[in-house]
Amino acid sequence: MSVHTAERPTSQQRPGGRRPAALRWRAGRQRPNVLGWLGALVWLAIVGVPLYALLVATVQRSENYTAEGPLTPPSDPTLDNYVKAVENGVLGFVLNTAVVTVAVVAIVLVLAAMTGFAVVRSRTRWTSGVFRLFLLGLAIPSQAVIIPVYLIILELGLYDTLTAIVLPTAAFALPVCVLILVGSMRDISEELYEAMALDGAGSVRTFLQLVVPLSRSGLSTIGVYAALQAWNGFLFPLILTQSMESRVITMGLYEFQGEYRVDVPGLLTAVVLATVPLFIVYLFARRSLVQGMMGVGGK
Amino acid sequence: MRTPRLGSVAGATALCLLAATACSGGGGGGGGDDQMHVWMYQDTLVVVQEGAVERFNEASETEAVIDEVPGDNYEERLRTAMGSSERPDVFFNWGGGSIEPYVEQDMLQPLDDMLADNPEFAESFIPSILEAGQVNGVQYGIPLRGTQPVILFYNETVFEEAGVEPPETWEDILGLVDTFKEEGVTPFALAGADPWTEQMWLQYLVDRIGGPEVFAEIVESKGAEGWDDPAVLEAAQMVRELVDSGAFGDSYASVSYTEGAASTLLSEGRAAMHLMGSWEYSTILDQDEEFAQENLGYVEFPPIEGGEGDPDNVVGNPTNFFSVTAETEHMDAALEFLTYTSEEEYVADMVANGEVPTTVNAEEAVADSPSPDFATFQYEMVRDAPHFQLSWDQALPPDVATPMVTEIESLFNGQSTPEQFVDALAAL
Amino acid sequence: MTGDPAAEGSGAGGRPPRGPRPDGPRGGSAARAAVPRTGRPGPLWAVPGLLYFAFFAALPMVLVAYLSLTEWGGLGTPRFVGMENWSRLTADPLMRKAVGLSLLLTVLSWAVQTPISLLLGVWAAGRQRSRAVLSAIFFLPLLLSSAAIALIWRALLDPNFGPLAWLGPRLGLGSVDVLGGTNSAFLVIVFVSAWQFIPLHMLLYQGGARQIPPSLYQAAEIDGAGRLLAFWHITLPQLRHTVTTSSVLMVVGSLTYFDTVLIMTGGGPGTSTTIVPFLMYRAGFESWELGYASTIAFTLVLVATVVSLLMVRFTGFGNMRSTREGM
Repeated sequence: MSVHTAERPTSQQRPGGRRPAALRWRAGRQRPNVLGWLGALVWLAIVGVPLYALLVATVQRSENYTAEGPLTPPSDPTLDNYVKAVENGVLGFVLNTAVVTVAVVAIVLVLAAMTGFAVVRSRTRWTSGVFRLFLLGLAIPSQAVIIPVYLIILELGLYDTLTAIVLPTAAFALPVCVLILVGSMRDISEELYEAMALDGAGSVRTFLQLVVPLSRSGLSTIGVYAALQAWNGFLFPLILTQSMESRVITMGLYEFQGEYRVDVPGLLTAVVLATVPLFIVYLFARRSLVQGMMGVGGK
Repeated sequence: MRTPRLGSVAGATALCLLAATACSGGGGGGGGDDQMHVWMYQDTLVVVQEGAVERFNEASETEAVIDEVPGDNYEERLRTAMGSSERPDVFFNWGGGSIEPYVEQDMLQPLDDMLADNPEFAESFIPSILEAGQVNGVQYGIPLRGTQPVILFYNETVFEEAGVEPPETWEDILGLVDTFKEEGVTPFALAGADPWTEQMWLQYLVDRIGGPEVFAEIVESKGAEGWDDPAVLEAAQMVRELVDSGAFGDSYASVSYTEGAASTLLSEGRAAMHLMGSWEYSTILDQDEEFAQENLGYVEFPPIEGGEGDPDNVVGNPTNFFSVTAETEHMDAALEFLTYTSEEEYVADMVANGEVPTTVNAEEAVADSPSPDFATFQYEMVRDAPHFQLSWDQALPPDVATPMVTEIESLFNGQSTPEQFVDALAAL
Repeated sequence: MTGDPAAEGSGAGGRPPRGPRPDGPRGGSAARAAVPRTGRPGPLWAVPGLLYFAFFAALPMVLVAYLSLTEWGGLGTPRFVGMENWSRLTADPLMRKAVGLSLLLTVLSWAVQTPISLLLGVWAAGRQRSRAVLSAIFFLPLLLSSAAIALIWRALLDPNFGPLAWLGPRLGLGSVDVLGGTNSAFLVIVFVSAWQFIPLHMLLYQGGARQIPPSLYQAAEIDGAGRLLAFWHITLPQLRHTVTTSSVLMVVGSLTYFDTVLIMTGGGPGTSTTIVPFLMYRAGFESWELGYASTIAFTLVLVATVVSLLMVRFTGFGNMRSTREGM
């Protein structure tokens, strides 16, 4: 990769790192960046207004929605929409999604960690070939292979089960995760490996006592990345499941579109409920989440 | 390789598999259980089938459940499931082209024997309607719903305010378009996001102009021939004229029917008329009961001067059908369940929900309908129709129907001229 | 298992490239020689991950290629038809239009998203607290799934029952049906994809901008360069790798854009938003011509691979980031 990254010591790669680079302080002293602020405020409106309209709609009565307009706070706020969404089974969908997400994350963590370890430490041409295969795998869009994946799932007799969503979702999250982990594991210094080796540790002990603990940040990044892929996945559930029992939240939302008919507030409430779990994660683990969202990008 | 490594690898793999299988317990879908799955297209009329399932479950050892599949995706979902081992045991369909692919794969249970064994049941249906459940002369479908002709609905209040009468000729329609535009009301609600609603206009126009033979030829060639009939072009030109005159307003292209938007426009008086299947009545009944009973008007699609088709011809869905998958584990129960569709209570439920049953005794039953006028109107319309044209997209196999519907949408959106429209269809 | 030969093939096949060796440790070669072999994992460690990936991602690729030579309706078994689908593909006017729309979407998305996310990202890289707070809000769309975003915008843009129905008359526009217009629906797709993905790219640029050594700016300041000059001569060149990464993400993301189109427009009105992935979905799961759909899918993979390889060419492996944002 580029020169500037290679030179960076690992400890300060966190985007939210405390110590200021001098740049903006100085810029601030020159004169305020009026244009920058202006642009930022415009974007704030573009992002904020729809989100505000979304939230307002959820406490609006359906009958009043068209009449009162999207931006005025409702004269007669209500939580009915939330009650109705829960009655319509949103929580069940969330539960299904949670099961899928946990399973995907588990598979990805284990497989990516093992593969990453092999790629970084096992010095054979074979493992570097494996690595390059995963890199090529980055280029496979899941849309393009949905038909054979459907075929495979049919052959395995898994159609319309949560497993049918889990297996391909995890597989398509793997390349990015391997890439992130390999980066993160390379930062473990050679001396530590040597120390382990001198200690007589085998590969398993090295893996469990050195590699796993020291790639914690990489592991949490890929965990979040995989979780996001699973939580927000659309195409696999769309094609591979159909019944109520195996409906995940993205499908639930998609189907609600028809069920809610012209009840825009009801539909938007379901959208909000579907996002609450991620929002909670965002509040408490913003950094991992942000890194997860960037995939490797932000490492 | 030394053993510890192998062991650890195996251990980790086992862990993954454990993670993978752990969730299959939690989420397994339908097929593995003992229930008999009945697939229904999700809409307000499912209550009728829910009643039948309830009665069936009381009497039978097999437990039947209804899987309601959202309407937008019904056919896609059905096909994916039919390709899998999670097939429904009994499922809703439109007969004709909609089940032909399954028949070709021998996936459906022929019902001729069952009908022969139950002559009373077989004779309870209007013969021509029962016949529509055949593919290549073999019975695969049992009528499960009322008949569904396409009707021109209108909002009586809006008509009164404008001081006009419902259309009796095509010229009336063009005149009404101008009147309502001046009134600031959209003349026709149109759910352009669901192009099968646009298809209804073409179906009627082609039939009125050229008669049923035009589309019969198209069906016979599976969509390969017949599109170059002058009636198709003329119908497309009339559609174009309507669209250009603002008959559907400016914002119809993203209006959806399955989400109820078009019906709401009619019931709220924002649109004056709506060409729609007879189920519109129950949709509106569900949304706005008072309006449905007091102010919802309906007429037949008007004749077109000089047209060859009989003005009494009807388009729409003769009915919907239940078919049984050949490999169901609940064959006896499934066949038993089918007979519930001609029971008195079932027919009564249909009538109560504004449907007009396809059973022979329906004439008396419709008199008990909560809206006897509408039911009688619909019943007579169907009874007196010399020809009942099944919806084009159901009569044709999906590989022709899907692009055809898209072409219809393009015509209505002005993306293609009537001439281009005909050329595109001829190229299918 | 079926994945095995492929895996070994790639291992025994081409030599690893020069340049950044994936297995090259930080330590110098002298250190490497002295390290005992214990504690190094055998290649078997990579097997589970590889097999798993091969089975659900690599095997399907092979199957797509095969299915593109067959006719298959999802029931029964595929029937081999040779190159029939391929000759149909080249003659299909819908495919031609879809390719055009996909390219247009890609170009427009890039042209809209890159400048905005670059500027916002650089701005957000500043250390004031207020900027951090605003950035936190900017990232919120990232929490929403494509399905949710598509639903929100569809509801907000509904011509009869959404805010536009309220807003339109008040602005004197009458009824506004942006999703119903042939051009406007396409532009809505461009806009919504920008709304959805600019935060991600902004994040990339923010990270990139924070890694620019401050000393560069100090030097520029001494030279008396203003903010614009500094941006042009320092920030932009320093971010060139981020630009590449982000651009490739955008390109691949736009080429595979699907969920939003399905939910918001269903490819319509008419075919005015039927881009390649949607055309594939329709051919496959609505017309049930899965063989033909596989042909479209294979084309998609080819394009995505070429784009990715080109990028690898330009930037080296290390810069290769997630190509999966569009999913």
